[in-house]
Amino acid sequence: MISPCTQNSIISFCLCLSFCVYVRVSVGDAAVGKSALSHIFHSDGSLFQKNYSMTSGVELLMKCVNIPETNDSVELYIIDSAGKQTLVEACEKMWGDLSLLCLVFDLTSEQSFANCSHWMERVRAHCQGRHVPGVLVGNKSDLSARREVQASIAQDWAQSQGLEYHETSAKEMENCDAPLLALARTFHALYQERRETIQNLSPG
Amino acid sequence: MIDSSLSSSGAKVVVATCGDENHPPENITDGNTKTFWMSTGMFPQEFIIRFAEPTKISAVTVDSCNVKHLKIEKNTSQNASQFEPVTEKEFEHTEGHLQSNAISLNGSSATHLRFIITSGYDHFVSVHRVSVQN
Repeated sequence: MISPCTQNSIISFCLCLSFCVYVRVSVGDAAVGKSALSHIFHSDGSLFQKNYSMTSGVELLMKCVNIPETNDSVELYIIDSAGKQTLVEACEKMWGDLSLLCLVFDLTSEQSFANCSHWMERVRAHCQGRHVPGVLVGNKSDLSARREVQASIAQDWAQSQGLEYHETSAKEMENCDAPLLALARTFHALYQERRETIQNLSPG
Repeated sequence: MIDSSLSSSGAKVVVATCGDENHPPENITDGNTKTFWMSTGMFPQEFIIRFAEPTKISAVTVDSCNVKHLKIEKNTSQNASQFEPVTEKEFEHTEGHLQSNAISLNGSSATHLRFIITSGYDHFVSVHRVSVQN
């Protein structure tokens, strides 16, 4: 029998500036709280799924975020994919277009943290050398008595992978917007940077 | 012969899948490679050029950045609908200068040309000029 902890799952997110469409993909083991997080992103923290069930298909959510100190806003298309291995493979083909990565693990499960390296490798294989900025999210920070992963260890690993580290509690709605805003800002900055580069190109 | 600009012959972009107001789709047909239309994330992206009248086209030249795969479709209708595939091309990646690709359309007659960018070498692609050889 396969325990749920060894099953893997994905959420992918698409972000869209008022003039932009962005994609970010979030991956992580089943039951680490990705669906709950994606729902809170979607609902400005006004909603936590009380009737939690494992995602059984693909769900699309949409949300708009303003980038501070600019006139740009971001539309997010959040694609929450299923936790079962067979469905992961079906979703994996979407990773070719991913723009941002949101890797979620469960702070109360050492195994879910250990599996993050596996997910990074798997996602990187699809990026074809494109730079994909991302965040690592340790979820379920409310369950402090059951914590198995120390913040400093997660932080160090995130840094080694070029990810920004955040801890959230989707249940308590703590800090849930931070990873999202970080991703949106990063991608907005990337757009500005690329635009500048293109502006300075010479004709072919 | 390359027209000085498509817009001067009455052609214009009637559809574009995204737009930064600083880099509008009109920049594609203004004949100037210094101005451009830029996508703002995700694929596919597309734009449609409408000609003032049915036009015989032997080839188009696309000046762009970061485009990997481009499909071209056309129609001969008054409306921007019911397109038929014409050709597709994989672009080479360039560093420090624009991609410039001539694509043969075999003298097809068209009122609309639809350009679908199915993939790119980066998150964002730009199209600086489309010119038509009759």
